Amino acid sequence: MGEGTLPVVPGIASGADAGAGYAPSRGTYLETIHSWITTVDHKKLGIMYIVYALIFLLVAGSEALLMRIQLAVPNNTFLDPQTFNRMFTMHGTTMVFLVGMMILFGFGNYLIPLMIGARDMAFPRLNAFSFWISAFGGLLLYYSFIGGSGLPGTGTAPDVGWFAYAPLTERAFSPGHTIDYWTVALLASGIGSIGTAINILATVFCMRTKGMTLMRIPLLPWLYATTSFLVLVAVSPLTAAQVMLMIDRYLGGHFFDTQAGGSAILWAHFFWIFGHPEVYVLVMPAFAFANEIIPVFSRKAVFGYPAMVAASVGIGFLSLGVWAHHMFTIGMTSVGNAFFTLSTMLVGVPTGIKIFNWLATIWGGKVRFQTPMLFSIGFLFQFLIAGLTGIMLSVSAWNWQLHNSYFVVAHFHYVLVGAILFMIFAAIYYWYPKMTGRMLSERLGKWHFWLMLIGFHMTFDLMHFPGLMGMPRWIYTYDASRGWGTLNLLVSIGGFIQAIATLILVYNMVRSYFRGALAGPDPWDAWTLEWSTASPPPSYNFAVEPVVASRRPLWDIKHPEDPDSAFE
Amino acid sequence: MSEISQSIPPHDPHYAPHGDAHDHGHDAVHLPAPTAWPFLMALGVTLIFAALVTSAWLGVLGGALTLVSIVGWFRNVLPHEAHEDIPVPLEIMSYVPTLEKVARIEVSEEHRAQFPLETFPVSSGILGGILGGIAMVIPAEIYGVLRYHSIWYVVNLLGGAGVGGWTNPTIAQMSHFQLGAFVTANIIQGATTLLVGILYGAMLPIWPKRPILLGGIIAPVLWTGLLHSMLGLVNPFFASHIDWASFAASQVIFGLVAGYVVKKRGRLKRLAAVPLAVRLGVETPGLHPTDQDPSVGTPGLHHPGDDEHTGGGEG
Amino acid sequence: MSCLIIAESAIFTIFVVAYLYYIGRSLSGPTPKQVLEIPWFYSACLLSSSFFIMLAEHAIEHGKMLAFRLWWLVTILLGVTFLYGTGAEWRKLIFEDHLTISTNLFGTTFYSLVGLHASHVIVGLLMMLVTLAFSLTGALKPHHAERVKVLALYWHFVDAVWVVVFTVVYVVGR
Repeated sequence: MGEGTLPVVPGIASGADAGAGYAPSRGTYLETIHSWITTVDHKKLGIMYIVYALIFLLVAGSEALLMRIQLAVPNNTFLDPQTFNRMFTMHGTTMVFLVGMMILFGFGNYLIPLMIGARDMAFPRLNAFSFWISAFGGLLLYYSFIGGSGLPGTGTAPDVGWFAYAPLTERAFSPGHTIDYWTVALLASGIGSIGTAINILATVFCMRTKGMTLMRIPLLPWLYATTSFLVLVAVSPLTAAQVMLMIDRYLGGHFFDTQAGGSAILWAHFFWIFGHPEVYVLVMPAFAFANEIIPVFSRKAVFGYPAMVAASVGIGFLSLGVWAHHMFTIGMTSVGNAFFTLSTMLVGVPTGIKIFNWLATIWGGKVRFQTPMLFSIGFLFQFLIAGLTGIMLSVSAWNWQLHNSYFVVAHFHYVLVGAILFMIFAAIYYWYPKMTGRMLSERLGKWHFWLMLIGFHMTFDLMHFPGLMGMPRWIYTYDASRGWGTLNLLVSIGGFIQAIATLILVYNMVRSYFRGALAGPDPWDAWTLEWSTASPPPSYNFAVEPVVASRRPLWDIKHPEDPDSAFE
Repeated sequence: MSEISQSIPPHDPHYAPHGDAHDHGHDAVHLPAPTAWPFLMALGVTLIFAALVTSAWLGVLGGALTLVSIVGWFRNVLPHEAHEDIPVPLEIMSYVPTLEKVARIEVSEEHRAQFPLETFPVSSGILGGILGGIAMVIPAEIYGVLRYHSIWYVVNLLGGAGVGGWTNPTIAQMSHFQLGAFVTANIIQGATTLLVGILYGAMLPIWPKRPILLGGIIAPVLWTGLLHSMLGLVNPFFASHIDWASFAASQVIFGLVAGYVVKKRGRLKRLAAVPLAVRLGVETPGLHPTDQDPSVGTPGLHHPGDDEHTGGGEG
Repeated sequence: MSCLIIAESAIFTIFVVAYLYYIGRSLSGPTPKQVLEIPWFYSACLLSSSFFIMLAEHAIEHGKMLAFRLWWLVTILLGVTFLYGTGAEWRKLIFEDHLTISTNLFGTTFYSLVGLHASHVIVGLLMMLVTLAFSLTGALKPHHAERVKVLALYWHFVDAVWVVVFTVVYVVGR
């Protein structure tokens, strides 16, 4: 059976120091730091993205826990109302911009050149610039806790929700600099996002190695290309709207100043033209991870590759035409309501194609239930539920009943946590060996998965019910007579279970970095190019640029008697 | 902006040496050299932003930093971008699959879900739908002329929703030309027949043997019955004025024409003896029947035009 | 660069939509009809510069550095003329018509849209000046034609945006 020879692979793979990273580890601390700051290597930048995002994941998670403590019992006084507002604003903003975007770009940065057989991203210096400006943007946002000045005595960080609806953000209602921190931080991180998106598109379309045609690249680069396109057309409107907001606040403009004829609804439109595609920007990379992990752990090639590509691109385009389903209660015409109801339902079609294709990939496969696969299966189930509640909410009449209730909160957390975060965890377990050369502990991984699953369902399944019972979002407390107390207590407990699960992951990552089993170049017996080089890969990725003849180049090498290329 | 486009020219000879390190004997790879300018520029731009919320001095500092960084960045990439050479230690690494051997899914020839050996393409259904849509106007118009002596009656009946001012129109109103009704009726008729044609084409593989029976009799009868029971709810005015006999006749004409067109366009041989899983696009090696006569298996697979049922997933 | 242009187009689209949305919604004067004059001459300058930069591209492709410098310089001068036109218009609006960015909605949208475009013209001019300096010192060689074309593409984009802005502000908006 297949013994292929991969031509040339550098020797550091088997070295005992593989776990110590590829920074010049023998230098002083200062030299190490210098090498990370000046690096233009896509792998180092990718790791920095991921670490940075994980730190902020803990921060924003803590903010969520503070909110859950406050809401656990009726009439609680743990947080005062202003702090509560700041918490949900910062939680949302951080999770979307500093955690979601950063970690997904991190994996994209790390994996795309490796998967398409390139030595680096198309624009390595722009890549470094994008990371640093996004990172500084995040720091600026959090500096607002110290440096911001809001209403006298009420403090510091932004407190208008992550969507910052006008005219609440105008000078008259938000004096001080809190909104400005929000705006400038997101402007900075938006520049970084656009830079990275340009970079990814250029890399996918121009840097492929020999034989790597567009229909042969793994699905992950395809999905990242779609995501990047969405970033280009979606983040730019946000940038424009924020510039308008700055003009309003600094130069006395009237874009969103309702007293001078400006329109608050226009802000809502502009924000959601960004905000809805943003959801897909976040979820597409999660799809991408599923596309890589599910086939490898089912021991089958992904089902219906062209259909998957078409569905991804289709979702990308459809997502540009559904933004106003966030605004059914704002009062649109019935034509508008009908249009956005239908277009939103239409998204269910390509999404359904993807789910069926994943199921068909698992079907009949020889499934290995290791931690990445467990998280992927959780993702499949939870993403389906999230899609179904999404269809419910897309019906404008139903939406009028439930908009801005905890039902909506539960729905989008089902997407963001149940689908995206679960796939991010799966990706961490799957690619951590490639990035560090060490395996994560499977035993801790199983603990992490089951605690996370239990905590997740306890929190977000139960959260639907207070919503159906009429509990609105953004309230800092409620009266005992409402009857929401028990459910909220359970929801809060579930949140803490998730926190424990996440801490297990952190412990696992730190511990495995020093003491994990050595991974070797290809611990999962996978098929894409990143597993053909050492773990961690040398700075030049491939000693010899690989030549590809099928969608699964490593399969061809391992199974010369039955190569994929024979079927192309 | 220009530094973006200039930072890595893909065809720059200085970036080219990859790949053949082994063959040509030199064992180093050019990689872009590390540089601090992107970091400093990001810091500078952020400081400019931060100046908006703190003090102007920070902006001055940030502006200066940005300017210096731009110059530094330019000098880094112009006229030639800075490189460092990474030596590549060469080592042969052999690959042995760590896990099991290739397993093959057994699919028997008598598998329940075999597609028919030959069927009609969807495009025939669409063409049939269009032509049938034109043909079905004839019985409807015969009815309109005989009963109301006007060719516009049926048009107005179908497209009446397009005329804003109508609430219960009289027969006389209905017998005269109305532009709005005419346009609406054409849109309704065109879109419906096209959609029905697509549906018909998509259903053809289910009953591939007798397209005229399916298209001409069964489908119209079902469709008329469905409408007869539903139309009272959807459009009461239409329902009360419709003549069901001529309506059914139109439907049958539509179906007969569509079925005839499909029959006339002929069958397309496809997917002869390939197992279901392959036709559905499962790519697991072991499935692909390499031992089969390729002249039987592959034409169906690699026929680009008739991919409707495969999910497009073949290799 | 194409990607950047897509992103920039999205930004301009948002501003143009805002402008269209707010046409005639100002609560107080002055209105566009009272104060705006159509800048035929300066628009012609900007649009014709697209033609000259094409000549410059053509020249550098064929290695004619002298012609390249000439057409490049002409392009820059035309761009500067346009910028002067915008400046003069704004001066008139501010000091004679007392329309500033905070006067009314028209002022807000007008200054931000036209200002956004003008800032792109300035960026383009700066980059072209740097290129001109390089070509005068001889550092720019014919084999840099590809990069020059990228810059030219940006300039074409700026021109094309002006066509939209011009239509929206001076034709539809009046």
